[in-house]
Amino acid sequence: MSTEAATLPVLAQRIPTPVRHVLRIAQRLGAVLSWAALTVAALAMLVPFIWMLGVALRTPADLYAHPASLWPHQWSLAGVSAIARDLPFGRLLLNTFVFAGGTTLLLLWFDSMTAFALARLRFRGRSVVLFIIIGTLMVPFQVTIIPVFLTVFHLGWLDTYQGLIIPRATSALGIFLLRQFFLAIPTDLDDAARIDGANNWQVYRRIILPLSKPALASLFVIQFMALWNDFLWPLVITSQIEMRTLPAALTLFQSQGGVDHAALMAGAAISIAPLAIAFLLAQRFFIQGVASTGVKN
Amino acid sequence: MTVTSPPHSRRRPRWNSAWLFMAPSLILIAVFILEPILQTGWMSLHEWTIGEDSHKWLGVGNYDRLFGDDRFWNALRVTAEYTVAVTVLQVGLAVSLAVRLRRTTWFTTFVRGAFFFPAVASLAVIGVVWHFLLDPQIGLVDAWLGALHLGSYDFLQSEALALPTLIAVGVWKYLGFSMIVLLAGLQEIPAHLYEAATLDGAGRLGRLRHVTLPGLRQTLLFVIVIATINGLQLFDVVYTMTGGGPVFHTESIVMYLYQQGFVYFDLGYASAIAWVLFVIILVVSAVQLRVLRVNDVD
Amino acid sequence: MKAIVRATAVLGAAALLAAGCSSGGSTDTSTGGVTKLTLWTGFTGPDRPAYDKLIADFNASHPNIQVTMDVQPWATLGQKLPSAWATGQGPDLATPSSDPGSIYQYIKTNSVIPLDSGVGTGDAKINASAFPTAVDKAFSQDGKLYAAPANLATLVLYYNKDMFSAAGITDAPKTLTDFQADAVKLTIGGDKPTQYGLSLADHQTIQMWPILQWMNGGDIVDTKGCAQINKPASVEALKSWTDLVINKHISPVGQTGADADTLFSAKKAAMEINGPWAAAGFQQAGVNLGIAQVPVGPGGPVTLASSVPMLVARSSKHQAQALEFLAWWTGKTAQTTFAQASGFPPVRTDMTDAVAANQTVAQFALALPNAKLYLPGLTQFAQIDNDIYVPFVGKITRGSDVQKEADSAASAINALTGCKS
Repeated sequence: MSTEAATLPVLAQRIPTPVRHVLRIAQRLGAVLSWAALTVAALAMLVPFIWMLGVALRTPADLYAHPASLWPHQWSLAGVSAIARDLPFGRLLLNTFVFAGGTTLLLLWFDSMTAFALARLRFRGRSVVLFIIIGTLMVPFQVTIIPVFLTVFHLGWLDTYQGLIIPRATSALGIFLLRQFFLAIPTDLDDAARIDGANNWQVYRRIILPLSKPALASLFVIQFMALWNDFLWPLVITSQIEMRTLPAALTLFQSQGGVDHAALMAGAAISIAPLAIAFLLAQRFFIQGVASTGVKN
Repeated sequence: MTVTSPPHSRRRPRWNSAWLFMAPSLILIAVFILEPILQTGWMSLHEWTIGEDSHKWLGVGNYDRLFGDDRFWNALRVTAEYTVAVTVLQVGLAVSLAVRLRRTTWFTTFVRGAFFFPAVASLAVIGVVWHFLLDPQIGLVDAWLGALHLGSYDFLQSEALALPTLIAVGVWKYLGFSMIVLLAGLQEIPAHLYEAATLDGAGRLGRLRHVTLPGLRQTLLFVIVIATINGLQLFDVVYTMTGGGPVFHTESIVMYLYQQGFVYFDLGYASAIAWVLFVIILVVSAVQLRVLRVNDVD
Repeated sequence: MKAIVRATAVLGAAALLAAGCSSGGSTDTSTGGVTKLTLWTGFTGPDRPAYDKLIADFNASHPNIQVTMDVQPWATLGQKLPSAWATGQGPDLATPSSDPGSIYQYIKTNSVIPLDSGVGTGDAKINASAFPTAVDKAFSQDGKLYAAPANLATLVLYYNKDMFSAAGITDAPKTLTDFQADAVKLTIGGDKPTQYGLSLADHQTIQMWPILQWMNGGDIVDTKGCAQINKPASVEALKSWTDLVINKHISPVGQTGADADTLFSAKKAAMEINGPWAAAGFQQAGVNLGIAQVPVGPGGPVTLASSVPMLVARSSKHQAQALEFLAWWTGKTAQTTFAQASGFPPVRTDMTDAVAANQTVAQFALALPNAKLYLPGLTQFAQIDNDIYVPFVGKITRGSDVQKEADSAASAINALTGCKS
């Protein structure tokens, strides 16, 4: 480690050999302990999910009798079958994909156009627009829920895909992140293109977009995840079970009187499953994606 | 930046097409975010119940009531405590983790992935899972604590422990996300700065203070601002885990807003709360940006 | 030139909105003689299949009226229903909340119709006279009936027979004295019991603490809205029970309804006062289950009843059919099916023989004559419950002085209801 190499020469002049040995051992020990601590911490982060899976596959009696156990003693598929029986699964999955996917695609398009204008084009009121956009980040959903519900109703979009998608098809966070990214792209290519006669749309489409693949990918990941997990919005916009999304439908298993732990956890596991699997398969993609949002921020 | 008009196009000022680019986003924001915010503001000036034909004008009546409302101040305090604790803990831990996990090896990839994983789950799921995990009867936490003879705790039912528990869950959820963003920021710091510092005799801490932290400033600002905004909007975790109890010890501002607006149907009052929160977030973010910002990237 | 570009964008947006507006609202709910009704409920619990069955039975026996039930969590329902009804959209029928007092909001905003035109004798009419008086009163205002009971729950005493025999107690307690003595005897383990005598919940639950006051003749509020919570009978009851909780540890503090159920299911508590929905879960968890009436104290036999109100929307285009649906729902056939499917007692008081065969249901039905509703007839019930009563119980079970807290709760209640006493 460079740390060692760097500090040892400095210390070496002042410390006798036996102590230096002890120091080195202590340093190694420290490193091992830190590795161990990190591993324990990492596993601890995952324990809730492992437990959740376990509960989904256990009988209630088992859960009550062995709370300290992560793994089932008595296996049971009752929770899973309760979910499968009570919910139109395929339809819910489809709805969730359409909602999360459709909204994210639209969002990428709208946000990138807006970010392009804010980053590359000069116009009067640019700062004001930026300020307003960032300001909307600060409004909790509960604040606007009723007026938005009424607006969607007046448009006749309740219980429809467009009602789910269109109001969410732009994101202040997305605009902000993409703008930061675009600002970091050197303007030489832009200028060259303009000299060749390109208009704004062509610069946007041919130069900026292709260069933004990492940022677009990362925004896709973040937004898809957030929209997939959003349960409050679909609950407000839809009433029929056929139009619900998966997380929203799972709230049907929570109630004040009587809790079916297995069903609830099975539902939780199923709602996380698609994202979790994608994450496990393409972890580097996910993480690199999120990481690049931090670039030049 | 010099602008040369292409020979065959008509003379169109640049800012015009800018509006065209922004049109879809701006229309959506105007219709589905700005208008509702303004409508909420309008509602806050009245005694407003949905479905009533007329709404009594109150002027600043709701706001007067708000400032004399003990429960509101309690909610403000709870929210402030939560936000400060979660932001400090989350960012502090994220920085140390990012520094520690800087190099990409199979081990660090595993650890990074594990820390990031909670971000993948929705808040509703997390609230429910943790509520059961902390259950004194069937929960894992109490069972393990008992096995280690560390005693048994009523995490969510104890007045003293409820908020700290929620803070812990909040940190658990977002820590990985902040860590990843900081990791990327770290990778941007040029290696030669570290070499120069070492040559100047800086130890671990010295390098942290003089190279790492300054280099991370922009990223840190981003992470801190986002964490703060999230914290101030605390709702889902409270709603699914404690409902604001015990005895209002975990009632956040948005939770109180929800009670007023959707349980008591006093939408005028709830709107006033919403606006006060909105202003608070604006002010806090502005202060953070001023204090922590170095380069003006605008 | 620029103006045209701008204008197109604006026009486009306007066209979008206009197109949406014109198609909004009216959907044809009546095709070829078949009336379609929508019903919104919050029945997300394990009893949902019983409601589904009722709806299916109705649809099968009424080919001209088809009902669809949309279920969502109570919280979401409460958020959407006011605006939905206020804008003339929304379901024909709905259960706005699990609290009976929720109807006042909708009566105030004129979103629902009185049911009186549908009330009468015979199968085609709502037999309101067969409902328990307490329910009838709770669902009426100014002499008009606004809601029919979608269900009716009473609370009984569940107990774990194995724990009782292990402690040497042969029968479930019948008096208040026995009840408290048994609770103490069945609490094992000192400060941190491994077994609790009684599982009490104080928030996010169907209320149990009011029963403890009623057993002693005390109450929270009287019919005029004046606080009774700080009167001697009530304070005495609360003092004795909080003493048991704090000093004898007969129950954990701060449980939600779900927590309390879990405690009993996990065989960590010997008794729980709970409703019909819990029986199946307890049996599934392997508890050797006994069911008895709530013990009797100086206040006479009493327990808590709760009923979910079902309302008919003023904006409904099929009010006659909606009333017919309510008549069928509260009729003898449907209630027999429902009682057997869900374990709930029927909402009618004239059916005890019909369901006598089912032991569990019989116990719940038995409790009906003595059942009281929690905070009945009060328009401010939500505030009294959330802001005053629940925190009150939370404080006294954590050591605060009972009389002092009761006095402050009483003045808060009187301030809300406008009682001058």
